Amino acid sequence: MNRRTSPRIVWAFLGPAVLALAVIGIAPLVYAVWTSLHYFNLIDLKDVEFIGLANYASVLTSDAFWDALGRTLLLLGIVLPLQIGFGLVIALLLHQPGVGFLRTLTRLSLVLPMATTYAVVGLLGQVMFNIKYGVVNQFFGFFGAEPVNWIGDPTNAFLTVIFWDVWQWTPFVALVLLAGLTTVPGEIEEAARLETRKWWRILRHVQLPFLVPGLVAVLILRTADTLKLFDMVFTLTRGGPGAATEFISLLIERTGFRAFDQGLASAQAILLLILTIVLSQLYIRFFYREVQ
Amino acid sequence: MRKRTYRSVAAAVLAGALTLGLAPRAEAWSLEEAAQPYSGTTVDVIFLLRPGYEAAKQMIPEFEEKTGININITEVPYENALGQQVRDFVAGGDLDIALIDLVWIGNYAENGWIEPVSKFMDDPALHNPNFQLDDFFPLLVDAFGSWNGVTYGIPFDNYSGLLFYNECMLEEAGFDGPPETWTELLEVYAPALTGDGQHAFALQSKRNETQSADSFARMIWPFGGSFLDENFRSNLDSEGSLRGLEFRQDLMEYMPDGIVSYDHAETVNGLAQGDVAMITEWSAFYSSLANPETSKIADCLAVAPEPAGPAGRKPALGGFSLAVTSQASEKEQAAAWLFIQWITGEENAREYLDRGGVPAIEAVYEEPGVAEEYTFVPALVESWQEGVPEFRPRFAEWPEISEIVQVHGTRIMLGELTVEEGANRIGEEMEAVLEKAGYYDGEKPLAQ
Repeated sequence: MNRRTSPRIVWAFLGPAVLALAVIGIAPLVYAVWTSLHYFNLIDLKDVEFIGLANYASVLTSDAFWDALGRTLLLLGIVLPLQIGFGLVIALLLHQPGVGFLRTLTRLSLVLPMATTYAVVGLLGQVMFNIKYGVVNQFFGFFGAEPVNWIGDPTNAFLTVIFWDVWQWTPFVALVLLAGLTTVPGEIEEAARLETRKWWRILRHVQLPFLVPGLVAVLILRTADTLKLFDMVFTLTRGGPGAATEFISLLIERTGFRAFDQGLASAQAILLLILTIVLSQLYIRFFYREVQ
Repeated sequence: MRKRTYRSVAAAVLAGALTLGLAPRAEAWSLEEAAQPYSGTTVDVIFLLRPGYEAAKQMIPEFEEKTGININITEVPYENALGQQVRDFVAGGDLDIALIDLVWIGNYAENGWIEPVSKFMDDPALHNPNFQLDDFFPLLVDAFGSWNGVTYGIPFDNYSGLLFYNECMLEEAGFDGPPETWTELLEVYAPALTGDGQHAFALQSKRNETQSADSFARMIWPFGGSFLDENFRSNLDSEGSLRGLEFRQDLMEYMPDGIVSYDHAETVNGLAQGDVAMITEWSAFYSSLANPETSKIADCLAVAPEPAGPAGRKPALGGFSLAVTSQASEKEQAAAWLFIQWITGEENAREYLDRGGVPAIEAVYEEPGVAEEYTFVPALVESWQEGVPEFRPRFAEWPEISEIVQVHGTRIMLGELTVEEGANRIGEEMEAVLEKAGYYDGEKPLAQ
């Protein structure tokens, strides 16, 4: 019974999803591209005019943009390996046989950081890392350490952002990888354990192939999230001190909603989107191919 | 002759009747009657999370009961207030009252988002005859509510920078009063008050409006500096501006570590906990510093005008006015005006003050007992005589320039840039913004 489905039914099923995507995703994107080709300033709307690629030219020749981009990529280069490393360790520990109750408890507590609103994490950080009244310095004080200037020093402020991001997102990586580990068929893993007692061999040849799809998802999601990291940093340092934590999305916000230059901000956002897509494609090409 | 007398009497009676006829109408203006046609109207307004707004919120039920007008408040943090309002105006949203920081007035007025007050004050049905602009401190009406000679906003949440200090700490160190000048503060008071984990001074300098307004602008003006010269070119490389910024670097030696991460909360807390001897802060923080529940030094708290520099006192000036928006319907505009007139006017000024607000009505500060009960009042009144309206330029480009000052201002403090490098960098970027806006080719008048 190989009856062709009528196009009407196909559209009835696909239509709502396509429509939603068009309204929520594609229309704003097209509008952003349109805006990026215009002088479009919210406080000067009478002078909107087509200026071609001038916004892109000024973004690409702006030191502030390249500095912010460099800072963002540095952050990505540090937090992503840390999150994957810690996440893998946690997942492997929880995957050990005989930790049933502990596993349930840990899984529950792992959800907590992820469930905390980004902006709240930043506000908490402002209080906890306060040089004088913060609980972090109080804690180190018990061991006789001098108070550390966490958010008032450029390097430390960057480290604080790294700490918070790793704290918040390692659990996500751990849970995804743990789910990947549970898909490894028990008999294969058992057979492998009879073959070798070296855990990294099992990891490399038995478990890793099952982890790759999850890992690629983690890479893509965490890369996109880190590139657009905003709320936590905005509430914690607002990009400061100086420009130490001014990541690309803070720069875009500053351009679009403080200077109200929506055209320039859209150009920055489109370039960021292109970068995200390129990175995602690279991940898929280099990592995902292995399992195909 | 008799006829003439009659005629004169009749004329006098007529004149009297006319005068009386007008006078009782003025006397008889009542909020309830004026508001009758607008009963049931909802007025949308944005409020901040600050004491002046808390005070107003406590008073609003009375207004609603008298008028039947509903006041719908959306509360936002300061950092979001400008963006949210601009988006609302651009999209033709719901806001009927604009909340205007003094540095936003040029932007709002030039874009035609707000109505001049004359529109309502010329309408006898809406204008309370007891409400006059002369009742307000002239500096505040000028700076907070006026642009290019037209008044749009009525001062509502009013600040001046003040020197708050811990009198007990100063006495212990042998001082019987606060420093009169910044130089005295640095050279005489600061060394004596710093040590044992305590610091003489804290200057809120976080990278946001705090850096540009509370820290950067506060230091350049008293030393004879300013952001712009008369041609709207950068004046930050002038001797006065550089001297002020150098002074800030010198004073940092007597401030707590990490001062570039201090916002208002940290600074006020530093004084309230007894860790810092002096701060320069907005008058609005008086209530939390004087309250024993939030301040360990409530008994030692004293207030003075900000110290003077070589160019005079020039204290920080800030505050918000309320204006009727152009996008509101006629009914909403009328209702909005009635509310603005009620909440800012002389009739309710004392209640607003007692509930924690700072009104802009001159007469309320002359009432017996006010200066004794609110010890910040004399300093505040003195500051409002000496303030500079363009303490921060009030044109539409300020938010963008402020961001530039915030980045490089903090970098100067951290030593990443020298004072001169930083001032030049800000100057160049500021001029680029002004050039793009059309100030240099005569497209825009040089108004700030």
